[in-house]
Amino acid sequence: MTSLLVSQLANGLVLGGLYVLIAIGLSIIFGLLGIVNFAHGAFFALGAYFGLTLYNQFGWPAVVLAPLLVGVLGMVVERLLIRHLYDKDPLISLIVTFALALLIEALTRVIWGGLGQPFGQPEWLSGIFLWGPVLITRYRFAVFATTLLLLLGLWAFMQFTPYGRILRAGSRDPEMVGLLGIRLPRVLTAVFGLGCCIAGIAGVLAAPLWTVYPAMQEGAIMPAFVVVTIGGLGSFAGAVIAGLLVGVVTTMTIQFEPAAANAVMYVFMAVVLLLRPRGLLGERWERFE
Amino acid sequence: MSSNRTGLTRRQTLAGVGVVGATSLPLPFIGRARAAGPIRIGLLLAKTGDIAAQTDYLAKGSYLALEERGNQIMGQPAELVWYDEPTPQGAQQNMQKLVAEEKVAAILGGSLSSNALAEEATAPSVKVPMLINNAAATEITGKNCNRYTFRLNTPVAVQARMFAPFITGYGKRWYFLTASYAFGQDINKSFHELLAQAGGTVVGNDEVPLNTPDYSSFALKIRAANPDLILGGIPAGDLSTFLKQWNEMGMKGKIPIAEIAIGDTDIWAVGPQAATGIYTSLWWYKNPANSADEQKFAADFLKKYNKPAADKAWMGWITAKSLFESIEAAKSTDPMAIIEALENWKGGTPENPYSYRKSDHQMMLKNLVVEVKPKITDQWDYFDVKGTVPNNSADLDKVFGESGCHMTAT
Repeated sequence: MTSLLVSQLANGLVLGGLYVLIAIGLSIIFGLLGIVNFAHGAFFALGAYFGLTLYNQFGWPAVVLAPLLVGVLGMVVERLLIRHLYDKDPLISLIVTFALALLIEALTRVIWGGLGQPFGQPEWLSGIFLWGPVLITRYRFAVFATTLLLLLGLWAFMQFTPYGRILRAGSRDPEMVGLLGIRLPRVLTAVFGLGCCIAGIAGVLAAPLWTVYPAMQEGAIMPAFVVVTIGGLGSFAGAVIAGLLVGVVTTMTIQFEPAAANAVMYVFMAVVLLLRPRGLLGERWERFE
Repeated sequence: MSSNRTGLTRRQTLAGVGVVGATSLPLPFIGRARAAGPIRIGLLLAKTGDIAAQTDYLAKGSYLALEERGNQIMGQPAELVWYDEPTPQGAQQNMQKLVAEEKVAAILGGSLSSNALAEEATAPSVKVPMLINNAAATEITGKNCNRYTFRLNTPVAVQARMFAPFITGYGKRWYFLTASYAFGQDINKSFHELLAQAGGTVVGNDEVPLNTPDYSSFALKIRAANPDLILGGIPAGDLSTFLKQWNEMGMKGKIPIAEIAIGDTDIWAVGPQAATGIYTSLWWYKNPANSADEQKFAADFLKKYNKPAADKAWMGWITAKSLFESIEAAKSTDPMAIIEALENWKGGTPENPYSYRKSDHQMMLKNLVVEVKPKITDQWDYFDVKGTVPNNSADLDKVFGESGCHMTAT
């Protein structure tokens, strides 16, 4: 039993890595733009579908283009739709992006059909690692490593580059940033595109594990919201800690009470919010208070 | 005086007779006009939602059944009129519209059990035969049965009785992985009883929430329990996710997986890399035992849609075919005449005959046991047919058993 628990613990951390990857784009968009992007799961699904199409046409190397395409699409959506929501009530952005999610799902149904699409993992990433009782698949290990690299890259970008400083400043005081001569709208377009691109990366990486079908976004959006809420809205580090915790809590629930596996993350969220209403690492946001 | 008492004079009576006679003159003309128009058959299948991808196959099969007849029934033009099944209530309303506005002679449909149960309840009030081509809820031909409703699919409990003797051949230490809603719980209960009767052991029993995105922890538990067989009861999208992750964890082929009520499209969605398992199916397009009619249908479908006919396409086709042939046999669109003809309709081959049981209107047909090929080289050709259950047609009554249906004459 102990060896199985150790195995589930390791599996929970890896699963948590996937949750972090799904949630981080949502956290960035909320943290920097103040937009509650309910269409995040739809961009995740688009990543999977673009990856599938590119793989079928050109093979594995072309799949790396899928998140970039999702990012470009996200920038177009920002210019046409999201830009008009920045000074509006957050509730409006939630409703508009929810409608956007439904629209994207309907379009995927029209373009790719309603049935699930086969999409496996690359052969060179198949196989497992066995360390004593711990079993981790090579593919999940690669997903976990990609997530870590991505997080490190994002953190370095935000902390050490002028662009990162502009983004952080713009998220807190856009007027002041504008007065300094920086064209903030372009920056905001890039941020939304980046968030969508990360959702696309998560979609591409999840596609060989999940069923690729139009409603796959539902499996992504709720865990993403839960992770971001537990971690503290807009908190980068909070999302990472929360994602890993949710992964471990889920796998341990599967071990002892499998029927509650999907519900447990909501219970966990409720407990965290009762004890700490802003989430684990949430900060005070002047914009919303 | 008597005329005064009744309020009618002789002249008024004659005038009244004249008016009635005059107004009745066009009636035969109207009657002929309706008879000369196309015979309309309602198609009541979901056009939206996750099930829509499967109803598309059901509809294509139904349309092909009519096209095979030159779009004619009894020498008259015939057409299908397709209405949506958005919800059980919406399905009932659309059923009433099909009858009242489109004047359909019969209805084919019932893609989900919830919709089919609502439609079944409406059929006697609109007095139109309803042929359910997909839903598998036991009650449809059980306690909720009625004279107007016929059903193709084999109920879950019956499929379990058919399948259990076959899969006990893989061993009797089973791990149950079933969805925590009605479908999975039905499977869980039925197979638990059958395994106990066979003297088997349950080595694990996990109820899985619907739309579970990650099965790796379930796979770890199953791996640790090392059963002879995994008895699945998880629906289409979830099964696909499970099989992909089962393969990812290097477990494909190590422990057999068996499940009932899975469609071809569910397995096609898994992909050749991860697909595995033993399943029941009503029909498989490459089954060498298919009748000449079925082989022609499969060829026509492939030619028309450039992909093979899935089991759902056959389900749409055979239900529609049974209806069209019954209307031909009845030589009438009178509802009771159609019902009586359906009760006497027979299909299939001498080795694999099928027909609607008179006592509950359940289609009595053998199921196939299919197993995913060890190596898949074709985009669609996933299965080897391992056998039919029950093996002997004479055992159909026994395996279907009593349905609990108490049907009234009208």
